[in-house]
Amino acid sequence: MTPRAARIGRNLLLLAASLLFLGYVLAPVAWLVSSSFQSESEITSKPPHWIPHQPTLKNFEAIFGAGERDVTYETRRKADPSSGGFIPSTAKNLLPAMWNSFIVAISVVVLNLLVSVPAAYAMAKIRFIGRQTSIYAMLVTRVIPDIALVVPFFLFIRKLGLLDHVGSLIITYLAITIPFSVFILVGYFESLPDELDKAARVDGCSRLQALLRVFLPLALPSLVAMILFAFLTSWNEFLLALMFTQTPASQTMPIVVASFTSDFTISFSFINAAGVLAVVPPVILAIVFERYIVSGLTAGAVKG
Amino acid sequence: MSRIWTHPSSRRGFLRNSAAMGLAGTGLLGLANRAQAADTLNYYTWSAAVDTVKAHVAAFEKKYGIPVNYNNAPWAQFRDTMVTKFVGGAPVDVVWVSDSWLPEWADAGWLAPVDGYPEIMKYDADVDDFCNQSMKYKGHQYGLTYYSDYMAFFYDEEKLKKAGFSKPPETWEEVVAQSTKMKQAGISEYPLMLSMARETWLIEFLSALVYSHGGRFVDDAGNAVMADPAKGAQAAMQWVVDAVNKHKIVSPACVETGELNGLKAFSSGNHAFALIGRYRIRSLNDPAQSKIAGHVRQALMPAGPHGSHATVGWMRFHGMTAQAAKDRTRAANAAKLIEWFGGKADGKYQFQKMLFLDIGSGFGVKSLFQDPEIRAAYQKYSDIGMAEKQQSLAHKKDVVAPWFGEWDEVNGTAWQSAILGKSTVADALKTSAQSWTKLRKQG
Repeated sequence: MTPRAARIGRNLLLLAASLLFLGYVLAPVAWLVSSSFQSESEITSKPPHWIPHQPTLKNFEAIFGAGERDVTYETRRKADPSSGGFIPSTAKNLLPAMWNSFIVAISVVVLNLLVSVPAAYAMAKIRFIGRQTSIYAMLVTRVIPDIALVVPFFLFIRKLGLLDHVGSLIITYLAITIPFSVFILVGYFESLPDELDKAARVDGCSRLQALLRVFLPLALPSLVAMILFAFLTSWNEFLLALMFTQTPASQTMPIVVASFTSDFTISFSFINAAGVLAVVPPVILAIVFERYIVSGLTAGAVKG
Repeated sequence: MSRIWTHPSSRRGFLRNSAAMGLAGTGLLGLANRAQAADTLNYYTWSAAVDTVKAHVAAFEKKYGIPVNYNNAPWAQFRDTMVTKFVGGAPVDVVWVSDSWLPEWADAGWLAPVDGYPEIMKYDADVDDFCNQSMKYKGHQYGLTYYSDYMAFFYDEEKLKKAGFSKPPETWEEVVAQSTKMKQAGISEYPLMLSMARETWLIEFLSALVYSHGGRFVDDAGNAVMADPAKGAQAAMQWVVDAVNKHKIVSPACVETGELNGLKAFSSGNHAFALIGRYRIRSLNDPAQSKIAGHVRQALMPAGPHGSHATVGWMRFHGMTAQAAKDRTRAANAAKLIEWFGGKADGKYQFQKMLFLDIGSGFGVKSLFQDPEIRAAYQKYSDIGMAEKQQSLAHKKDVVAPWFGEWDEVNGTAWQSAILGKSTVADALKTSAQSWTKLRKQG
């Protein structure tokens, strides 16, 4: 075999493996999107219809078209097969839940920035007794599984009177995300030369000014990684949201979507439509910050 | 620029101000928490039939003027959610309870007996015995049923006709014979759909198989008898193992197939027979949800060699929490709500009837089988006579105990091991029996 043929063969093999991997990763997402536009009977057809034969928007209409109404004997939604009424009435909770998820995630991101950035800067650039210990102590808190924290958190949140309030989620998610956010940023700040800090201080900057004017602009990739981590953790979190929220006033996306699965009359295609909505914001975020993600996560991992 | 941003030595001040702001924020958030009337009933359900529940709650509030704070959580996480709320002292007055959780919740002191409420107890006479038994623990009754059902045997009439069978199998041997013929004829690769995945439904599937083989997991005294070759459980497990590995009429993937996926697989026309909860018949015969709509029929549970057409029944009920029972007013209001949902509302079994008409779920009230509206509705998609007959042969789960959850894990793994050929039937059931005995001793 000539070197050229070997190279072509290797490239073809790589291409095939890449396509296989791509299919493996994207197939569930493609099915999620495709089935959200199918009827219940089409979604269970064999072989499956990757492209809907009879596309329908009724799942999305149930989500976007549902308005507030009093539920009485007369107005209650029944599982009438002819009208496709097996889409649960709680479909109307999806948009408020999405909004709650958004508020919680954005709040957690902003508070993470406010707390983690100065903390990481201090740990990376200020020499104080117990500096290293404090970094590891923060990380150790993440070793405790969330399930073990549920009851203590519940008692704490109840004491604060925050049950069934998005504030309960913001507070607890901060406890979960801040240690890791600080860890990401400390690694990055440490990789920046101390001389930058000293030069800024000599030029008359306060610590805060040195952080804001010198280090933050340089730390953009790490900040993006931290923002993504905090946002996605908050957006996807299920256990604590399940425990602390009760009504649509505070329930987040994962709770409302999960609640559909215990309805007797559930439609799989509707659940998938809800799933499509649930993945839209994280996907948008990932696309917007795509070029920073890998560099941000690996920044500071290897010190020269 | 303000001092806090510019002064090099303002670190302590910054921390102090931050703490103050945090506390102020916490206080404000606390104030924002919704106030709730003192006499409000806190009612927790899992997120099923939400509109039906809401409608009935609205009617209750209108009739009695008692506000109800209705909350729900997904079924899969409901137990954990409620345990957290009980432990955390969250206000809960009336709660949906699965028969499987009763011993644990009663022993923990989270539920209160309702024996002292004649307005609740009077309904026992009109309720199926397996339902009444399922609500009792250590001599006390803990609620009032609003929903019950049982594991049913369904078949696709069209596939049977295609294979030349004029009637469904009456025994598990006939299931093998008919399935084998259908498999050979290419009508279905795996004619019987069994859901053997490790999920909460598994014990119901296993109990139906064991009961119909004349078996028990546990005797009336609470002793494990599943490993006794004469008690039917071995015969049931052996039948499943043979169905998967020898006759190949059940897919080996059954150990990964949960109840809902099994339903979807059957409704997509992949199988001829299925063990599924009875209430699923409505969706199975619904053209919008099922490829085999109009062809699904119910038959009595096939009988094992020394068995019968017995099946397992389950039920859910409204329970009153111990914290509600401590307060006379809350307890009286909670009892009203329990009766409103589990008993008669304005002289009729309104909620159970609505549940049936809205979503086809079952009921434990015997007299409802004679309700003309229910009969007419049921006849549209199945045979109510068959449904009633099979329900009369339902038995409560014999493994409901405070240690059920832990044992269920071991037992489910044991069945799966035998099905996958990782252990013998005898060893698997021995493991299950030993686990039961050990957990029972530990109390």
